[in-house]
Amino acid sequence: MNFAMALDYQSCIDCKACEVACKEENGVQLGADKQRIWVTQSEKSIFGEPFVALHPSQCNHCQDAPCVDVCPTGSSYFALGGIVMTNKDTCILCKGCMEACPYDARFVDDTHVAVDKCTFCYDTRIVNGEMTTACQATCPTKVRLFGDLDDEEGELITMLKNRKFYVLKEDEGTVPKLFYMLPEHDKNYAMNSVDPQTNIYTWDEFKPIIEMAKEKRKPQWQQMQE
Amino acid sequence: MATNAGIKVNHVKIKALLTSNAMLVAYAFLLFALFGVIEVFYERYYLLSATAFDAGLAPGSKEVAEAMKAAVFGSGGEVKREAPWSLYIVNYMYMIYVGSGIIFLVAFAELMDIKLIKKTAAGFLTLGLAMILAGLFTILMDLNILHLHHMFLSPRFSSGMWLMMPLYMVYVPLVMFEIYLILAHKDAWVKKIAVVILILSLLVELVEFYVQAKLFDMNSARHLWTTYPFLTLYFMVSSFTASAAVMILYTYLIYRNTDRSKCATLMQLIQKITLYSVLALGAYEATAYLFIDKKWAEIILFGDFKYYFYAYLGMSVGIPFVLLFKDYANNSYKIIASLFIIVGTYLGKLIFVYGGNAYPMSDRFGVGFEKYGEYEPVRDVIFFMPPLGEIAICIGSVGIVILIYTVMNAYFSVSKMQENASLDYSI
Repeated sequence: MNFAMALDYQSCIDCKACEVACKEENGVQLGADKQRIWVTQSEKSIFGEPFVALHPSQCNHCQDAPCVDVCPTGSSYFALGGIVMTNKDTCILCKGCMEACPYDARFVDDTHVAVDKCTFCYDTRIVNGEMTTACQATCPTKVRLFGDLDDEEGELITMLKNRKFYVLKEDEGTVPKLFYMLPEHDKNYAMNSVDPQTNIYTWDEFKPIIEMAKEKRKPQWQQMQE
Repeated sequence: MATNAGIKVNHVKIKALLTSNAMLVAYAFLLFALFGVIEVFYERYYLLSATAFDAGLAPGSKEVAEAMKAAVFGSGGEVKREAPWSLYIVNYMYMIYVGSGIIFLVAFAELMDIKLIKKTAAGFLTLGLAMILAGLFTILMDLNILHLHHMFLSPRFSSGMWLMMPLYMVYVPLVMFEIYLILAHKDAWVKKIAVVILILSLLVELVEFYVQAKLFDMNSARHLWTTYPFLTLYFMVSSFTASAAVMILYTYLIYRNTDRSKCATLMQLIQKITLYSVLALGAYEATAYLFIDKKWAEIILFGDFKYYFYAYLGMSVGIPFVLLFKDYANNSYKIIASLFIIVGTYLGKLIFVYGGNAYPMSDRFGVGFEKYGEYEPVRDVIFFMPPLGEIAICIGSVGIVILIYTVMNAYFSVSKMQENASLDYSI
C-alpha cells in the first residue's frame, strides 16, 4: 500500500466543509491558524478583471519527507502506506519539522504542546480499513480523491492515468503525494493557477519517481498501529 | 583556602557572595528570566485552548466558551506556523557559538603555546562555558520540557537536533575538565594528558560547529540556510569575531585595574585576532550572497531586511575594522569596537534566523503568494515580533552567564592570572 491523494482543485468552491470535517473528526485545535487542511487563495487579474485561484491543500505526505529526517525523537515518522505521522507524546517541540516542511503543513497544537498535521485520517479511518478521508467524504464537489498508488485498478490510479497532473515544489526533492489535476477544458484556469515552469506529468512519467523514492524510504515505514 | 583534588578552593562567605555587586547585576537579569519563564509557561501550559471535541464533551462550559473566543480573537498561540524558529534560536545560537568560539580560540592559543592566554585561560574558559550554559537554558525554555526524556527514550541518531544532545554531554564536561586541568597545574598526571585533552577539545569544537550547521542545513525548505556556502565555516568565522570581541571586553573589565601592562598586551593580542576575524567575516559576507538563493538574497539585501543587514555589516565589519586597523594606545577604541561587534553579530544571527523564515512558503504553485484565509493579508515577507516572555528569557540569559562566572570565580579564582602556569601544552 502507498497512500496518496489527487486534488481536482478546479472544482473547489471554498465552502470549507473539508476544514470543518477535518477538525470535527480528528479533534483538531480550534483556531484559524490551526488547520490540518486548508484552502488558500491567490488573487490575480486578467485584463484588469480580478479573480481568485483557490488551492485546497494539506500535508503532502512526501515519499522522501524532510520532516521525518530532522525529528530528533522519531515523533515524525512514516506509518503504514507511507503516511507521514506525528506522535504528540514524543514531540519535544523543537519545531525542526515545521522549518523543514516546504508546504507550511505543520502547526503547533497548543492542547498537546506538540506539532500537528494531516494524517489522512489514519487514526479514525485507515486503521479501521476505510479508504476515504473526512475531507474527501464531505466535499460536495468531489475535489479530493484518496487512494492507494499500488492498486492499479483503483479509482486513484485510474484518475491519474486518465488526466495530467503536477505536484508542488518539485525542486525540493520531497516527492510529494498530493497530485494536483491539471484543470480540464479550461486553458485559462490552468494557465493562471500554475506556474508555466511546473512540470506536468502523466502517471507513466511520474510512477518511476514514486517507485524510486518508495524503494528508498519503505524500510522506515511502520506497521499498522491500532 | 583549601585544596581539593589538586585545585585550591577559596573559603567564601555565602552572604558576601550573594550580595556582591556582580551577583546583584545577575539578579537583575535573572528577574527578567523569571518573568519570562512564568509568562512562557503560562502561555504554553495553562492558556485556554479547545478542540471540536471539547464543545461536544462539555456543552455550556465557560472555559470552552473562553477558549473558543480565544481561538477566533486570540493571538493564535505561541508559535506561528510560518516562522517556527524565532528569538530563542537567535539567542541560543549567539550564546553557544560565542561561548564555543572563546573556548576554541583559547584551546588553540594554548596549543600554540601563547603564554599570556595560557595564564588567563581558566577565566576565558569559564566565561565560554557560562555562555554555553546560558544558551542551553534558552533552548530548554523553547522546548516542551515535559517531553524531553524522549530524547533518550526514542532517539533518532541521524537528526542534527538529536546529535546536539550527546555533543553537549561530551562537550560541557570536557570544558570543565579542561578548566580543572588549568587550575590544578601542579599535578604531574594532568600534564601528561593535557595535549591529548586539548586536541580532543579542538576536535569536539570542530564537530560542534559542523553539527550546528547540519541542524540548519537539514531544513531543506529554507534556502537561506541551505545555500549559505560552507555553513560550518561561516559559523566559525562569525563566532570567532564575536568571541574575540567578548574577550576584549572581558580582559578590560577583569584586568584593567589589577595588571595594566599585561592587560594592555593581552588586549593587543586579541585585537589582532579580532581584526583578522573581522576581515574574514567581511570577505565571507561579500561573497556569500553570490551563492544564496536569490529569493532570500533579495529580501535581505534589497528588501525588508536591508537596513538590518547593512547595520550588521557596519557594526560587525566596517566600524570595527576602522577602529582596530591602527593600533591605538588608548583602549577606548578597542572597547568601542568590541561593543559594536557584540551588538552587530547578534544582529547578524537575528538576520540569519529570521531571514531563513522571511521568504513565505506559501508560493507553492508559482503563481504568487497565497493567503490562508479570507481575513488574512497576503504576506510577501514573514516577520513576527517575538512574545514578551521570549524576549525576557533572552535578556535573562545574560544573568546566567554572570551568575555562573561569579560563583566559579569566587570559589576557584578563575580570573586570577596563573603566574606559575607550568603546563607544557606545546607540541
